[in-house]
Amino acid sequence: MAGTLTPQREAAQQSDEQTKSDPDLPWITIVWNDPINLMSYVTHVFMTVFGYPKAKAEKLMLDVHRRGKAVVSSGTRERMELDVATLHGYGLWATLQHDS
Amino acid sequence: MKVRRRGGLIRLRFDGIESVLLYNLFDDLVEILRDGAGEVTHDPVQMRLFPAGYRDDEAAEDEFRALTDQSLRTERCDRARQCRAETADEPSELELTDEDGQRWIQVINDLRLALGTELHITEDDEPEIDLDDPDAQRRAIYYWLTGAQDSIVRTLMR
Repeated sequence: MAGTLTPQREAAQQSDEQTKSDPDLPWITIVWNDPINLMSYVTHVFMTVFGYPKAKAEKLMLDVHRRGKAVVSSGTRERMELDVATLHGYGLWATLQHDS
Repeated sequence: MKVRRRGGLIRLRFDGIESVLLYNLFDDLVEILRDGAGEVTHDPVQMRLFPAGYRDDEAAEDEFRALTDQSLRTERCDRARQCRAETADEPSELELTDEDGQRWIQVINDLRLALGTELHITEDDEPEIDLDDPDAQRRAIYYWLTGAQDSIVRTLMR
């Protein structure tokens, strides 16, 4: 999965350099609750994509389920674009934004 | 469909017409993915399969979509085709590696996203079928896919 996205990530980085605001402020990836994705599946995706231990993956899944959303990763804009694209590949409803 | 781990592999056993049904569903999914290619669309199924990465930044979203949409569509189509090929000769069982199983849960999830969006599934929906509902059959298929996906996920996590 990451393999097919790698060339695009490089492209995103190139275009990003022209428009970048403050490189020190991190970006965040948010997963939003939806009625279709299964709790077991979402937990499995967090473990697979981020390598989170099961307890952390389950806590994030429950945050999504009960609070409607959860921040699942943070870092550079390029990294968050890659995370969001990866999560979209798993069918999760993910977005990125500047953590302001 | 029964799912169990056996000798390091995940074994799927299909009852009756289950593998024929899956083949047809995978075929439908390939069609849905091909239909939406290269278009700006407001179709709810396409929007759910390919959601926005940016909520409040249209320019960033256009750029993000231009970079990701085609490869994500190709990836989805390829894995649906693989599952379709595996079920083409009406198998009564399949043995999958964990990597295959991972692909299966993603493809079944894509199917559930498409079907669940069409059926306007909500968190409160119960898997009880009202036979007077014109969508009764599709709802039954949706809930069957839900059970199948959950079984494979739990087997993968074991």
